[in-house]
Amino acid sequence: MELNAQIAVTVLMGVFLVAVATFLTRIENWRSYTPVGGGGSFIEESGYIDEEKPAGIIRWLTTVDHKDIGILYGLYGIIAFAVGGLMVTLMRFDLVTSSSLLGTSTYNALLTSHGITMLFLFGTPIIAAFANYLVPLIIGADDMAFPRINAIAFWLLPPAALLIWAGFFAKPLGLFGPAQTAWTMYTPLSLGAVGPSADAVGGAGVDLMLLGLHLSGVAATMGAINFIATIFTHRGEEVSWANLDIFSWTILTQSGLILFAFPLLGSALLMLLADRNFGTAFFLTDGGNILWQHLFWFFGHPEVYILVLPMMGIVSYVLPRFAGRKLFGFKFVVYSTLAIGVLSFGVWAHHMFATGIDPRVRASFMAVSMAIAIPSAVKTFNWITTLWNGRVRLTTPMLFCIGFISNFIIGGVTGVFLASIPIDLVLHDTYYVVGHFHYVVMGAIAFAGFAGIYYWFPLVTNRMYQASLGKAHFWLTMVGSNITFLAMILLGYGGMPRRYATYLPQFATLHQVATLGAFLLLIGQIIWLYNMVSSWFEGKRVESGDPWDLRQDNVRTVEWQWFEQKLDTQIATDGGDEEVATDGGKPADEAEAVAEERDDD
Amino acid sequence: MDETPGLSEQYRKASPWPLFIALGVPISEIGLVFNVLPIAVGGLLLFCGCLAGMLQEAGYIDAPWRALGVMALLLGGLGGAILYVNPQVGADMTMRAYAVLASAAVIIAGVVAGTLLVPKRQQPA
Repeated sequence: MELNAQIAVTVLMGVFLVAVATFLTRIENWRSYTPVGGGGSFIEESGYIDEEKPAGIIRWLTTVDHKDIGILYGLYGIIAFAVGGLMVTLMRFDLVTSSSLLGTSTYNALLTSHGITMLFLFGTPIIAAFANYLVPLIIGADDMAFPRINAIAFWLLPPAALLIWAGFFAKPLGLFGPAQTAWTMYTPLSLGAVGPSADAVGGAGVDLMLLGLHLSGVAATMGAINFIATIFTHRGEEVSWANLDIFSWTILTQSGLILFAFPLLGSALLMLLADRNFGTAFFLTDGGNILWQHLFWFFGHPEVYILVLPMMGIVSYVLPRFAGRKLFGFKFVVYSTLAIGVLSFGVWAHHMFATGIDPRVRASFMAVSMAIAIPSAVKTFNWITTLWNGRVRLTTPMLFCIGFISNFIIGGVTGVFLASIPIDLVLHDTYYVVGHFHYVVMGAIAFAGFAGIYYWFPLVTNRMYQASLGKAHFWLTMVGSNITFLAMILLGYGGMPRRYATYLPQFATLHQVATLGAFLLLIGQIIWLYNMVSSWFEGKRVESGDPWDLRQDNVRTVEWQWFEQKLDTQIATDGGDEEVATDGGKPADEAEAVAEERDDD
Repeated sequence: MDETPGLSEQYRKASPWPLFIALGVPISEIGLVFNVLPIAVGGLLLFCGCLAGMLQEAGYIDAPWRALGVMALLLGGLGGAILYVNPQVGADMTMRAYAVLASAAVIIAGVVAGTLLVPKRQQPA
């Protein structure tokens, strides 16, 4: 029986490899295809896919164009966002009553996967989506420096997601369950059969999750190397370090952080995997548990800045467009970005204040953690000052930018409190921490992502989204976020510990309030998804190269010039002749007339 | 009449290799971690073969054989290293080492066959 299974797997693998080889030969033949009787030699290349993309699904499977890969990253990130969001919706409904409706092991599995999905499968890829599409356009590069590496980095992600979620697929088949280690994977809990927990946390599900995380780390590192090489070597002649845009600066800094942080995560994951499967003892000896925490958080804290810096870049890039002014203190925003990048590697042990590490070590990490608030505050003040006396237009992307600043201030200030050792010792492992970082990751990072998606929606799709739905989405998300996460902060003050599926009755009201907020968030995101899908296919066509009327304030940026050129040279399509109303509230041609008048002046 | 103005035409916009390179990594990892020899070997072959294909397509190499030979050597070294540490760790790694060595052997066989049997003029310039 065992032998038969081995033979069956071998045959299947062989068939798979032959199928891949056949497919590859066919694809490669297209390149060297010449019609029979055309007189071409075998080795002469037609250059077909050198200039044009193949059609249909093959185009998306084989593309190395940075814009296509950006779209793929975007779709991937949105799917992951939906999965992670539905997971947390289930958890919030579980928390309506003080006893667990789903059962504690399901809750733990959802908790683990929600965190990992949102950070690794939504956060990092959605930034890569913006960066892939926009950085080459903005800096005047033909494409990324390594287009094929770019494609490999993307295609590592779908298997990573399947591996991370594997336990959810395998459980109904009676094989093994999903990981229940929480996203921090602390040992000895995550050590499994060799550790004291005897693998009550998911068995093979944990191994597969570790492999998936490792893959996503490899993908992020490959992407980072690509962005660094692109920004250093492929800038257009007119783009110098002095006039490099703020978004590319943040992507460059972020890529540097990835380069130092993710390989370390990968190594730590492989060590854990080896402890679980290969009989090593990296984390089994004395001090192994604190070693894991040091290794994990040396990656884990920069990861926060890996996610937030490019999103700050989007806000710094988009906000001035609708304030009608240049970004206030551009240089200092860049310096703050670099300062945050450097400091982010010196704060990791603030996650470990309660572990009993040396008080002198704690004090120094407290100092650096407090210090990192300074560049963050510099940025915040610069955004606010950019708005000052500006011609503020409350379009949907602008609303999300302002929402970002508002939520980031709450998330940041609660973080300063947590950075203080005596306060952290009281609030550690309570819902206060959960509320704090959700203000940052949902309230700030996701908000900036939405700002970017709305702002560049016409650039990518040639169509405008539905403005009223966009505003409904903003207000539901803003109100929902603040209800949910403020309730969490209050729960933390009350002493509610995090990561539990059950709780004492006195916490019921605030938990129910948080669930109400999560429900508002769900409705908002459903509206957003409907808006995006319906507008992509049926939204009003954008006919002006300046759909945001940026020229009237002289704040148009280079990617819209590319867009205008694209519109001018586009093959005539079905001739949608409706007038497009921009989110600024004026019909496009009227706005253009205003802009032209200004130009005449 | 240009769909993507500003893009240089010297850049290829499609390549079939990245997808399969990306598939080769998780397949071989799963095979090695869960000790399933055919999956480990298949994944490694897919990974190494497609890597050589991509190197050739990108123009870094003229023919895939020498690159494949180097990869087989690296795999041989890895397999040897696993066999070496096997007695020092708590789990039996013999089959995992054999899986890596078997992939190296298959690749070497491919290199020999390719070098001897594929006419030089069919290598793309």
